[in-house]
Amino acid sequence: MATRRRFLKGAAALGFAPAIASAQGTGAGRVVVIGGGFGGATAARTLKALEPRLDVILVERDAVYTSCPYSNGVLAAVREISQQQFRYDGLKRAGVTIAQTSATAVDASARTVTLADGDRLSWDRLVISPGIDINWTVLPGYDEAAARKMPHAWKAGAQTVLLRQQLQAMDDGGLVVMSAPANPYRCPPGPYERACLIAYWMKIWKPKSKLLLLDAKDAFSKQRLFQNARAREYPGMVEWVPLSKGGAVTSVDPATLTFFTDFGRHKAAVANVIPPQKAGAIAALAGVADRTGWCPVEPVAFESTLRPGIHVLGDAAVMGAMPKSAFAANAQAKVCAAAIVDLLAGRTPVDPTLINTCYSLVAPDYGISVAGVYRPDKGVLAEVPGAGGVSPLDVVGGYRGQEALYADSWFRTITAETFG
Amino acid sequence: MRLWLLPVLACALAQAGAPARAADAPPGASSCTGCHARTTIADSVIPRIAGRKADVIATAMVAYRSGAWPSSVMGRIAKGFDDRQTAAIAAWFAVQPE
Repeated sequence: MATRRRFLKGAAALGFAPAIASAQGTGAGRVVVIGGGFGGATAARTLKALEPRLDVILVERDAVYTSCPYSNGVLAAVREISQQQFRYDGLKRAGVTIAQTSATAVDASARTVTLADGDRLSWDRLVISPGIDINWTVLPGYDEAAARKMPHAWKAGAQTVLLRQQLQAMDDGGLVVMSAPANPYRCPPGPYERACLIAYWMKIWKPKSKLLLLDAKDAFSKQRLFQNARAREYPGMVEWVPLSKGGAVTSVDPATLTFFTDFGRHKAAVANVIPPQKAGAIAALAGVADRTGWCPVEPVAFESTLRPGIHVLGDAAVMGAMPKSAFAANAQAKVCAAAIVDLLAGRTPVDPTLINTCYSLVAPDYGISVAGVYRPDKGVLAEVPGAGGVSPLDVVGGYRGQEALYADSWFRTITAETFG
Repeated sequence: MRLWLLPVLACALAQAGAPARAADAPPGASSCTGCHARTTIADSVIPRIAGRKADVIATAMVAYRSGAWPSSVMGRIAKGFDDRQTAAIAAWFAVQPE
């Protein structure tokens, strides 16, 4: 009761007391969602749509969400950062209560979330969808200060704008060096899309420049499609150094924009470090992240295997064969919301099927895709055999252009479903 | 429309006959709206499927799956669903608001 009173006081201060009051006595319960990205925002509004009597509170630090999908287009100056940004008015209209603050602690046994201002929310089910945090401890030389010299731009927003400004200020002939991490990380094809779109931009604005991509892997998503496109569209401009050729970056020096590998060093005019990652910080605080830094979940309702009652979505979670993509987070959120409605009503959720579709742009009018279908199998989400796969290597006519158009329609559709 | 699909489809349609609760969406259906919009998206090249006739949706899925109709991602996705699963998804979208 102390919790409830404390919360009501905080709620009144935040101006959402009526929503809380109206939820009293309905018996449908309360779900708190932490994180307002493709996973969390979709979960919150789907919960409210499926069960309007539910009290759904979305805890999100920022008033504006900046989408990572399509943000490589901002680097290539074919999009503006404002086109990546979305607010939460659509969720408010849908009846979701927005608590614009950070969650600082989770008590899984008392079923409460503590907010940055000290207020506490009680919940019947908690959804954590915090996305990624940069793992600052594993790449020597790369810390938050270094990221202002060598931006990661792997959480879209100020970092994306900074990297674009650095590219635009670069002399023609300057070397852009990127580094890509080992698996797992957010958006598996993202580094390769970025390399291609920066090359697209360089071809127009900095034609004497080159891009070097140092990779901690020998294989990656849509690899042959990317390699064919790179050879055809950007011959001589982009060099990829895989792990086996010394691509793994062992340290960086932000003062001189230098990447060190076991085989040598590379000094950049513009340096983009895509660093190792882990689940967003609240996951570890809530006890749902394991020693890998990511969050194991069961494959039906995505409930944590470490903390019952807490569901984890999107990039932060270990989702079996499903990649860390916005489409996947959105799909998982809709399945999770339906499962939570079932669980709160005393029903057992049925085994779900999920789809992932992920487009990458090699150029603004040249799209490639990967798709997959996933079902629970032996305790994890497994790819359905015989389904899924990437775009064909050999195509005729306007296939690549058509996939670029699909990518654009997809982005506008999924952001409308999530935020609109 | 393949004849052998009709009984399955009829069954799925009967189940979905009452205005379906969104929570009762058959497995896989909720993922579709990431691309096939619930609301009108200006100039989208991806068709909406809510409110389309179930046999139209199911026929397209079966044709994408076999390769009889060309597609980009839809053939790869349709291969993840058998006739019964496809019919259930088609029946569910058919009764969603257009």
